[in-house]
Amino acid sequence: MKVMIGLEIHVQMSEAGSKLFCDCKANYRGMKPNTNVCPVCLGLPGALPVVNKRSIELALLAAVAFKCNIPRYIVFTRKHYFYPDLPKNYQISMYEKAGGIPICRGGYVKYLDVNSWEWRECRIRRINIEEDPGRTVYEEGGIVRSPYALVDYNRSGVPLLEVITEPDINSPREARTLVEYILLTLEYLGITNPRLEGVFRVDANISIEGGERVEVKNIGSTMDIEKALNYEIMRQAMIINSGSKVERETRHWDAEKGVTRPLRHKEYEEEYLYFPDPDLPPILISEDMVTKAKEIVLGFDITILYENILKLGVPRDIAWSIVTIKPSLDVYIKTVKLGADPLVAAKILGIDYKGELKERNMDLYEYNNWPPPETVYELVRLVVDKIYTYDTVKGLLIPKIAENPKVDVRSILPEKAENIEDIIDSVIREEEKAVKDYLSGKKQALNYLIGMVIRRVGKRAVDPRVIREALENKLSKLKSSM
Amino acid sequence: MRKVKQSWELVEDFMNGIEDPVEHIYRVLDSINRWESMVNAYISLESPDILIEKAEEISRRIRRGERVGRLVGLIVSVKDNICTSFLPTTAASKILDPYIPPYDATVVERLLREDAIIVGKTNLDEFAMGSTTELSSFGPTRNPWDLDRVPGGSSGGSAASLSYGGADLSLGSDTGGSARLPAAYTATVGLKPTYGLVSRYGLIPYGNSLEQISPMARSVKDVALLLDIIGGFDPLDATSLNVDSLNTFNSIKADARDLKICILKEMVEGADSPINSMFWKIIEKLESEGANIEYYSLPILSKALPTYYTIAFAEAASNLARYAGIFYPTKGSSSSWEEYIGESRFKGFGREVKRRIMLGVYALSEGYRDEYYVAATKVRRVIRDEIVKLTSKCIIASQVSPILPPRLGERIDDPLKLYYMDMYTVVANLAGVPALAQPIGFHGDLPIGIQWIGGPLEESKLISIGLLIEDITGLRGVIVD
Ligand SMILES: [Zn+2]
Repeated sequence: MKVMIGLEIHVQMSEAGSKLFCDCKANYRGMKPNTNVCPVCLGLPGALPVVNKRSIELALLAAVAFKCNIPRYIVFTRKHYFYPDLPKNYQISMYEKAGGIPICRGGYVKYLDVNSWEWRECRIRRINIEEDPGRTVYEEGGIVRSPYALVDYNRSGVPLLEVITEPDINSPREARTLVEYILLTLEYLGITNPRLEGVFRVDANISIEGGERVEVKNIGSTMDIEKALNYEIMRQAMIINSGSKVERETRHWDAEKGVTRPLRHKEYEEEYLYFPDPDLPPILISEDMVTKAKEIVLGFDITILYENILKLGVPRDIAWSIVTIKPSLDVYIKTVKLGADPLVAAKILGIDYKGELKERNMDLYEYNNWPPPETVYELVRLVVDKIYTYDTVKGLLIPKIAENPKVDVRSILPEKAENIEDIIDSVIREEEKAVKDYLSGKKQALNYLIGMVIRRVGKRAVDPRVIREALENKLSKLKSSM
Repeated sequence: MRKVKQSWELVEDFMNGIEDPVEHIYRVLDSINRWESMVNAYISLESPDILIEKAEEISRRIRRGERVGRLVGLIVSVKDNICTSFLPTTAASKILDPYIPPYDATVVERLLREDAIIVGKTNLDEFAMGSTTELSSFGPTRNPWDLDRVPGGSSGGSAASLSYGGADLSLGSDTGGSARLPAAYTATVGLKPTYGLVSRYGLIPYGNSLEQISPMARSVKDVALLLDIIGGFDPLDATSLNVDSLNTFNSIKADARDLKICILKEMVEGADSPINSMFWKIIEKLESEGANIEYYSLPILSKALPTYYTIAFAEAASNLARYAGIFYPTKGSSSSWEEYIGESRFKGFGREVKRRIMLGVYALSEGYRDEYYVAATKVRRVIRDEIVKLTSKCIIASQVSPILPPRLGERIDDPLKLYYMDMYTVVANLAGVPALAQPIGFHGDLPIGIQWIGGPLEESKLISIGLLIEDITGLRGVIVD
């Protein structure tokens, strides 16, 4: 059963600073309803849109990153539909016909499928820049039963990228991986913060060989992409298995119930009255702009960054783990530049420090939660120079650094247990019974002895393996002397 | 008919103490009291107390020798499709009555910065859709020169306010002739600037790609004064040209011997005979004084009117989508969203507006878009190229309207007749070039105008030729007595 999936990914350019056509903020989170508005984003009569150059530059980065054909000029179009949260009852968007010219046509994404560690490719049909509508809130009973709707226009006019793929995706898992990859790329390029609430929405087109295409709208998280598509494929498969045909329709993903539902209205031919927005003259995308964008994209190419880490001998899962958290990658690259052993540094950042942050419920994406490269360099040095074991660094130092990433490593170094031989000797002397047991063949007694040594070592750094080795040595000598 | 001082002279006299702004506002208020009930030029008027207070303050500032603006003490009327935060702005539509915008249009800010006194908001055809100012939900404006006739439109209220002395200067808007046609019908002067010279920020849009806020006055030099103040780059309008304001006020009168004038067959054919004869009299006069007159034909202009209306209606249908009873006063009552917006639009829009929305939607619809909207934009490009090419060689002279001001009700029910009134004016809007309309004479009591069309940003040339014509006709600063 061949499944074909195409996606429309709407991502807010939350890092653009201002809205697409006015000076209101692009990131409206935490604001009181209808306080991040002005005549332009409320669409008041006579107010005019003026494009925020930063959004165009950011969108161009995406177009370059996805290897698009980039036009010499872009032209915004008006897309008309009546909806309460759309203050002009048209959305300033892009369209490839009727005189409109989108920022990207015909690109592709090469993305890493971390389930199989294979590279896959998905063609991009188009990328549009458009304005986000406001937000409609229904009280009691949702859209069907609520006696009224409240509209918040704080979001109205926020710049969006609409990435439209070809139906090159063959499984829900792939779809999710692709979206995660695209979001990561956009994050690296400084276009969006994928973790902001409601920062992206996905519509998916799914068809099973022989059936019609069904559109599922309103998928709000990467996890839900997989869920919604799995549900929809199952639903369509059941229809096919029962001998019926899948009809072309638009469905709505209900994240709470975990089902797709048909939209209330019957599908009708969409009539958006597209035409170029006469308030917005064509915008030149100069060669200079493209050259600059290419430079930036090259510096933030996830594929290149990932492969560079692999080249240092780091296993792919650790390398990918580092790449997916931008602050950790930044620290990693700088640490390696300082001359640190790449593998030890990768282990610290990609596994154990990351794990510690997760354990503590700290934000992995917050730069301030990561130590400076000098600190990581020092940790690596302690391990490589065998001053401490890796486990000591992991068990004793990493938690302290996570607690205070700016801490001076020297100030938290555990005292070295230099008199370890003496401690072992005294434990052997005092724990006669355990020693006897061990010598008489009860191997588990060794663990008890190791534990006793560690207890005496206290908080000072020592590697249990070293203790075990030393204990075994001493005990075997004892045995032969008996 | 009588003649009054030009506005720029008035400013000089205020500064010299020959005239007093307070006496002046009383004079203007007198005219408004006398005429307004008959003419209906204004939709809303500032309260006399506030106006007098403002004039007094300006008078004091002048006496103290404080720095004052270039429009100090002048009384300006503003078309009611230009946003003001201190007076309602309705575009003459019930759907916006009584909407008060939270902001001022850029041009309004510029007027206020120059110490103009805004007296009120003038009547227009609803959303500027019309050529007679009869299609207003606040009732028609009458032509002060003949109260049975229309003042032209859609800036009829502005033109009428000037011609009876209810304002010194006025801001109109011109989408397809909306400032020039009323100017021609009221013996006033109207200039449609180069597209992008004057900011549209705050102009309630009808046909965005065609229209410009347009200075109107009783003399060419006054129009230049106003143009210099409202013109120039505005960062709030993406279609605003990146040019400084022009200096047209200091343009000097043209010498007929330097003039190269083109006459296009398609823009003089078909006019009524009094208009025709007055036009040719002026042309002959200029020729006799040494002007070079050349004759051309641009057959593509036969498509100008349908091209213009297709584009304007398409843009209008889009622009007017926003009036759906959420932000604006005319509401529906149904609990169904679709019915609610339908109701508010059904109640709020007049018949001509509805007609234009329907036609505009049709022109943009899937399957018809290429045949109508896209085709029109292509023809428009050809017309623009031809006109820009021609105006690089000469100034185009034409009539403003093919007919004299019609009687009220005469054309209102026949849309095709109504649209026909714009056949000479739409060309400048399609081409984005400046055009000046000024009076050249009267047929009985009815004013007749002439139109001059120049190349992009050649407003100064138009002002120069306008000054020359004023000298020939003596028609400068005329008002109805
Ligand atoms: Zn805003």
